[in-house]
Amino acid sequence: MSDNALWIILQKLRTPLLVIIVTYSIAILGMVLIPGMDDNGNVYHLTFFDAFYFVSYMASTIGFGEAPYTFTYEQRLWVSVCIYITVVGWFYGIGALVSAVTDKTLKFEMMRSKFRKRVQSIKDDFVIILGYTYVNAEIIKKLHAVNMEVVLIDTNEEKINHFLLEDFSHDVPLMVGNALLADTLSDAGILQSNCKAIVSLFKNEEKNLRISILTRFLNPKVKVVAKSTFSDITKSIIDTDIAKAINPFEIFAKRVDIALQSPHVLILENWIYENSDLMNQAMFLPKGKYIVCGYGRFGKLLQEKFEKHNLEAIFIDEKRLASREMIESGRFIRANPDDKEVLLEAGIEEAVGLIIGTQNDIDNLSIMITARKLNPEIYIIARENTMQEVSIFQAANIDWVFMFEKILINKVSLSLSKPLKNRFLKLILNKDEEWAAKLVKLLRNRIGANPKLMTLKISEEESYAIYHELLEGNEVSIDVLSHSLSDWQKNNAVVPLLIHRKNEEILLPKNRMLQVDDRILFACDEYSKEEIELIASNIYEFYYALCGKEKESPILKKIFG
Amino acid sequence: MNLQKVVSGFFFILAMTINFGFFYGDIDNPELHSVYELFVALVVSLISTVLKIGDKTQLGAVLLATSLVADIQLIAAVTVWTITEYLSIVDIEAFAAIISLSGGALLANITSVILYIGETLKSKR
Repeated sequence: MSDNALWIILQKLRTPLLVIIVTYSIAILGMVLIPGMDDNGNVYHLTFFDAFYFVSYMASTIGFGEAPYTFTYEQRLWVSVCIYITVVGWFYGIGALVSAVTDKTLKFEMMRSKFRKRVQSIKDDFVIILGYTYVNAEIIKKLHAVNMEVVLIDTNEEKINHFLLEDFSHDVPLMVGNALLADTLSDAGILQSNCKAIVSLFKNEEKNLRISILTRFLNPKVKVVAKSTFSDITKSIIDTDIAKAINPFEIFAKRVDIALQSPHVLILENWIYENSDLMNQAMFLPKGKYIVCGYGRFGKLLQEKFEKHNLEAIFIDEKRLASREMIESGRFIRANPDDKEVLLEAGIEEAVGLIIGTQNDIDNLSIMITARKLNPEIYIIARENTMQEVSIFQAANIDWVFMFEKILINKVSLSLSKPLKNRFLKLILNKDEEWAAKLVKLLRNRIGANPKLMTLKISEEESYAIYHELLEGNEVSIDVLSHSLSDWQKNNAVVPLLIHRKNEEILLPKNRMLQVDDRILFACDEYSKEEIELIASNIYEFYYALCGKEKESPILKKIFG
Repeated sequence: MNLQKVVSGFFFILAMTINFGFFYGDIDNPELHSVYELFVALVVSLISTVLKIGDKTQLGAVLLATSLVADIQLIAAVTVWTITEYLSIVDIEAFAAIISLSGGALLANITSVILYIGETLKSKR
């Protein structure tokens, strides 16, 4: 019901309205019944209209005087009674109206119906984001950059007020509400066909699971992106079939794993996330003994990776406990890592790497300083917890700083806004060092330090020329798109990275035939990007790129034969 | 027994009976129709309208609608009465209009009472 607000007002005003009606009718009836006296001393009775008129202006304290003739004392006696009953009734009514309008439930209902209207008026694809946090705000900015709309829900009104102060390029419909209720989600437009995804990154991961299940039943076409670091919750989330569980610990542990065996993959990953360009030196993590501060979920994931590479790793944690076997073999020390003695006991002097992953920034920095004193050569990987504009970590000469919030932001926004890039990233993460090094070299040589990424879909709107050529039954190779328009035998600075079609994915396609509905990811420079778009959509440019001849206009051909 | 039900039932039926009391009598004979009765009919009708507010069910909505119809008919009757009296038009046609307007209100009130009785019979408590 969209007119909830009106009903709430009416319901609140029931008693005051009754009071006003009753007091008015008593006053009017009395005025009519009590005899008055006109100017000539004749007895007369007020008519109902006279009485209604008089009581109306008396009750609202306007008070035009006694009409139509001066009242007798009997009438005045009654009027003094009426004043108290009607004026009180009237003010009670006004007071109730004001308090009903400022009522919290009413405000909420009004906000809700406004929110619903705004969500319904969204025409483009949109994403529902739950909770206003730093991470989500960054995700919103990245989604806006690719023209995706965002709807935001938070339970906390104060946070929503903070949100209003932020500067976003698009209008964001927002609501105070509990996202775990199906009603709230449907208000946020989860049932609409242009709702593409819902982002649930609550700290309390059971909430993320509940959101996934709710969405599964409300609208299984909506993709859920949920944060999950516990394996049982992750399993349940994945079991909903529509949800994707994102575990920042796992992502970073995987990066450490990659850095140990194929650092060029890491360079490609950073380039795709637009964190840095391809010129960075590929650095293998040193092989040897590692010390890890913190043995929570993250520590355990790291342990798996180190075991995979047969590297020795010693874990230090003050609060958590490891298995007896680990303690007995000296691979776990239960102590505060921010202590010289403890670090020495763990063997900091002969260790090659130190991973500091506690949840306290100051602790992390302090461990780092102690460790550097004991072993100046050690490779330090440190976790930064709080987002700040001026980061001490950047200034602290740490070899590798990581932040789970940033990982979440990058991962979520990439998978929502640039699905093809995300696909490509997923495929290359499993490639080996040789493959990645070759690709980095190829990209650097052909395009430059920081190639752009562009996507192209073979469809009527995005690539008219190719689409129609394919419809006519002709074959088109992907290589046509990299031809230069000034000389078709030369190639532009283009590297096709991926063709994605219904049941096939082709990495680094060469001389492959295109199909309708293919989506292609290119690495290219700004200039070639324009040429690719021209070739794909303009039939004359396409013809030239295909065979090096100018295509004759079909109309002119007809005229001149 | 629910006191609220007693009160609202009382007013719904009172609105109908008083309305009937005013309406009953020759349509062209002003002496048979008391202005006090019209006044009370209007007041009671307004009260029963307010009592019907706030019920969001389908039946509640129809009840409210019938009550609003009765209000409008009665207010129209009162207005016509006031105008004829103050403009000193002694016109049997205008008086007949007042009575027939209140007759319309009576029909609306009867509908509303029938609906109310129907709901009461259907209720299992």
